[in-house]
Amino acid sequence: MITDKRQKNKLASCHRRKLWQDKVIKRIFQGSAILAALMILFIYFFVISRGIQPFLPSYDGDQQNVLSFLTGNRWRPDMNPPIYGVGFIVINTILTSLGAAIISFPISVLTALYIAKVAPPKLRAVLTTIVELLAAIPSIVYGVYAAGTITGLVDDFAGLFGISTYGGNSALAVILLLAIMIFPTITSLAVVSIRAVDRNLELGSIALGASRMETNFKVVLTSAKSGIFAGLALGLGRAFGEATAVSMVAGNRMIGPTLNPFDITRTLTTTILTGMHETSPGLDYDMRFSVGIVLLLVILVTNLSIQYVKRKVGGITNE
Amino acid sequence: MAAFKVENINLWYDDNQALIDVSLDIPGNQVTAFIGPSGCGKSTLLRCFNRMNDLLPNTRIEGNIIMQDGREISDPSVDVVKLRTEVGMVFQSPNPFPMSVYDNVAYGLRCQGIKNKKQLNTTVEYSLRQAALWDEVKDSLQRNALKLSGGQQQRLCIARAIALEPNVLLMDEPTSALDPIATAKIEDLMQSLKRMYTIIIVTHSMSQAARISDQTAFFLLGKLIEVGPTTEIFQLPKDKRTEDYISGKFG
Repeated sequence: MITDKRQKNKLASCHRRKLWQDKVIKRIFQGSAILAALMILFIYFFVISRGIQPFLPSYDGDQQNVLSFLTGNRWRPDMNPPIYGVGFIVINTILTSLGAAIISFPISVLTALYIAKVAPPKLRAVLTTIVELLAAIPSIVYGVYAAGTITGLVDDFAGLFGISTYGGNSALAVILLLAIMIFPTITSLAVVSIRAVDRNLELGSIALGASRMETNFKVVLTSAKSGIFAGLALGLGRAFGEATAVSMVAGNRMIGPTLNPFDITRTLTTTILTGMHETSPGLDYDMRFSVGIVLLLVILVTNLSIQYVKRKVGGITNE
Repeated sequence: MAAFKVENINLWYDDNQALIDVSLDIPGNQVTAFIGPSGCGKSTLLRCFNRMNDLLPNTRIEGNIIMQDGREISDPSVDVVKLRTEVGMVFQSPNPFPMSVYDNVAYGLRCQGIKNKKQLNTTVEYSLRQAALWDEVKDSLQRNALKLSGGQQQRLCIARAIALEPNVLLMDEPTSALDPIATAKIEDLMQSLKRMYTIIIVTHSMSQAARISDQTAFFLLGKLIEVGPTTEIFQLPKDKRTEDYISGKFG
């Protein structure tokens, strides 16, 4: 009787301890999630509150006009009074990043399909490692590579058309550099999502008389759509956000937009980065935060557009 | 007339022999049920009829499966893609593609290169009617097939196979993932389909085999133990092992 009671007590205390553990662990998870969310909020809050200062009447420097900032086609901080127009830079940024995505996306998806579905196991392991290594190369290394090699290629290529470039520094060099940089990002996400496709779907397709390739293109890619487009979004995010490497081959065009691929260009990130260390607190410093707001907006709009495109691709709307 | 004559089939996965000297006839326009405990080789044999075993590496098959036209199924003159349009397959768990209901049914035809809109429309409607799904989906053909219920999805998979106008339907435990009501619908469907198609069904449910099949084959450890008309197998099994299995002594 006594032992029975003791055992019951023991069980009850064990049960209480488990409940208590569950609660603590739940709080830890919750705390981490909140912390991560707060970081994003802090960054947004800081950049935005700083970036809108120059446009407010209370600003203690030369107050800037929002409209001429957003639509301007000149960036001349060296003039007196300085001119800050970001419109053409937005167009340059979108053109170079989209150009990179247009080159990189199809190659990435086909590579991913090859790695996940076609390649023999040994080659698959080698290719996966290569893609992972590419993703791990620091952007500054991509930058010196682009400055040393891609610019030369672009210069030679332009020479074929009798066009002279600024030593190869050009929008095209930026596009090629970014295409290489976002390739591993898109590819590795696409590989993961293609691998996750239910094997039964493939068997179902083959049992209906479809060939392997028909199955891969019509069923596997459609099923992996979400992950592939998530990869595209991340890749574009990297393209929009890359500053270091891009600034090494972009040149520093002060008016625009740059529509000629062999001409030098200027992106939002290079605008923020260039001369950051030479400038002193004041308008020129604060305007970089304003450019930061624009960059955040561009990325937000791009992600929304990708969501929209994703729904349209593959013939079905995700209800 | 036999849809398939299976003659002395032996099949190995690597070194494991999954089928041992199996011979039987599959009569046309009837329902043949394969029963037996897990791992007895019944699904393996089913996959021989549309050569899905070809997809597994290290699989070796000996013996013959003679088709209705007299050719052996693995004969080089047999186009495996064409074979799979003539021998449709329905899987254990419903596997509709992540596309619209319409595109699912039209999938096989489109792979055959058929683009004619009118022909596709006609076949999609016909197949969905045959699969007893038309009335439930006729107003939402563009809806994502994954939004259908499990039972509807499985009937969609049947419609998808029917769209290719096969002679034979292979069904690998088609109701094991479904509730009793959805199961009853599929069983009713099979009764009406057998007038037009030869059906081979693998099932774990003895009562299902008894309800819907004309012929039953009992497998154990890769061997065909007994095959015959369903009523005989269930009422007067000749082999002790068959009797033990259907009376629930093991399985």
